[in-house]
Amino acid sequence: MTEAVDLDSFIGSAAGLLGISLDPAWHDTIRFHLELTLHMARLVDGFVLSDEAEPAPVYVA
Amino acid sequence: MQGNPGPEWEDASSIAASVNAGKIRAVDVTSAALERIRLANPGLNAFTAVTADRAMARAVAVDAMRAAGQRVGRLAGVPFAVKNLIDIKGLPTLAGSKINRNHAPATADGVLVQRLEAAGAILVGALNMGEYAYDFTGENIHEGPSRNPHDRTRMTGGSSGGSGSAVAGGLVPLALGSDTNGSIRVPSSLCGIFGLKPTYGRLPRTGSFPFVSSLDHLGPFARSVRDLALSYDLMQGVDSGDPGCAARQPEPTMANLMSGIDGLRIACAGGYFRQGAFPEAIQAVDKVAAALSVSVEIEIPEAARARAAAYVISTTEGAALHLQRLRERPGDFDPDVRDRLIAGAMLPAPFVGKAQKFRRWFHDAVLRLFEDVDVILAPATPCTAPLIGQKTFMLDGVELPVRPNLGIYTQPFSFIGLPVVAVPIPLPGGLPIGVQVITAPWREDIALRVGYALEAAGVARAPRPADVMAEE
Repeated sequence: MTEAVDLDSFIGSAAGLLGISLDPAWHDTIRFHLELTLHMARLVDGFVLSDEAEPAPVYVA
Repeated sequence: MQGNPGPEWEDASSIAASVNAGKIRAVDVTSAALERIRLANPGLNAFTAVTADRAMARAVAVDAMRAAGQRVGRLAGVPFAVKNLIDIKGLPTLAGSKINRNHAPATADGVLVQRLEAAGAILVGALNMGEYAYDFTGENIHEGPSRNPHDRTRMTGGSSGGSGSAVAGGLVPLALGSDTNGSIRVPSSLCGIFGLKPTYGRLPRTGSFPFVSSLDHLGPFARSVRDLALSYDLMQGVDSGDPGCAARQPEPTMANLMSGIDGLRIACAGGYFRQGAFPEAIQAVDKVAAALSVSVEIEIPEAARARAAAYVISTTEGAALHLQRLRERPGDFDPDVRDRLIAGAMLPAPFVGKAQKFRRWFHDAVLRLFEDVDVILAPATPCTAPLIGQKTFMLDGVELPVRPNLGIYTQPFSFIGLPVVAVPIPLPGGLPIGVQVITAPWREDIALRVGYALEAAGVARAPRPADVMAEE
């Protein structure tokens, strides 16, 4: 569950994966925004949609 | 609030009529606008570049065309300016950033600039904005904040803050901005002017710097609804340079602008759109509803979730756009923007896929509402202009950051690309605040008709600031 995730460690690992060098002074603000973003994402994720639900962007060849 | 009477307060339609009739020269209008900018911009910080030489050359050409008996266009001699994410030939397209100052100058004007100039309008400069359009405040760490002409200690709203300031302050009668989550409607509300966010895909974005391509719109700001309608009509039309531009023929709105509201079914958005709002936001919506004899309230399903999904798509798509710059030049970003983008880059991808699926669901659910109503009214912002530098405010009893939350009422509608006219409602003794007039996709004509009716009734009006010339 997300409660068990160590966000501080995750931020460091994700930054490494993304190739972004983090200044330690930015950490708390990034964590604040990540928590806010996750709150928004969970709100959306909690909405039940059918497997067949079509995403909004449709590529037209 | 009605000080400073003078030609700077004429709307674009009136200026163009005078130029076409030979009552005034484009050169005189342009000179006056440039002088107004010279005097007022130091206090407002609306402009980041003034294209004086280009403007005067263009004005001379318009006057010469008229003298030669040629058509000079429906916006002849009208000064206008554009948010600095729209290309101006010869200038780097800053998009509010320090990083883009190193970009090569644009080799051509953005398509909407070209279309306005083809109608005789005169470009006078580029306008301040929140960095990379990820902003609702109008603050900019590199350029300084654009300032609200009604109170220069207060925010313009963002991200098109310079556009709001320039039009509300009488520097230009017409400006362009962009709206991804509310960046036309929020400054319109806080600065007390009219703004149009058209249907997603209606106006081409060719020659503009993106933020979230799947949500980005361009549109006009003005001090009258007829100026919104006129400029919007002149900017319509397909352009192959923007893959998001719909293959629709122009659908002009001016002919029916004064048709009135008879027969229109109008409702106020309830629930989410009345929660958290400051009393002045509710007062403004209620004033509009009373003027339109609206008593119906409808619930927009899952509006909070729609706002959340727009947030998720914006932060992740924005992060993808800027990832290389975040790697190479993180110290050159506005920290408020950088740290949000880095957080967005870290969000696992399945959440984004879900948000895009929810977007389709929400689109279908809201379009079903339009089977029973033609127009939905909602607040544009939860409050009047906060103080510049203010970091938090109280919404529904919860202290929240200002920057991401000024757009809580605009995001659900841009999320699904609906057309919206923001109308300014002056309130007794206070700052102006806007109301959103929302319609079904491609029905900008109806939103503009309602806006015009409200303006004609004296309910919606762009108030004149007391004095934008004085030094602080």
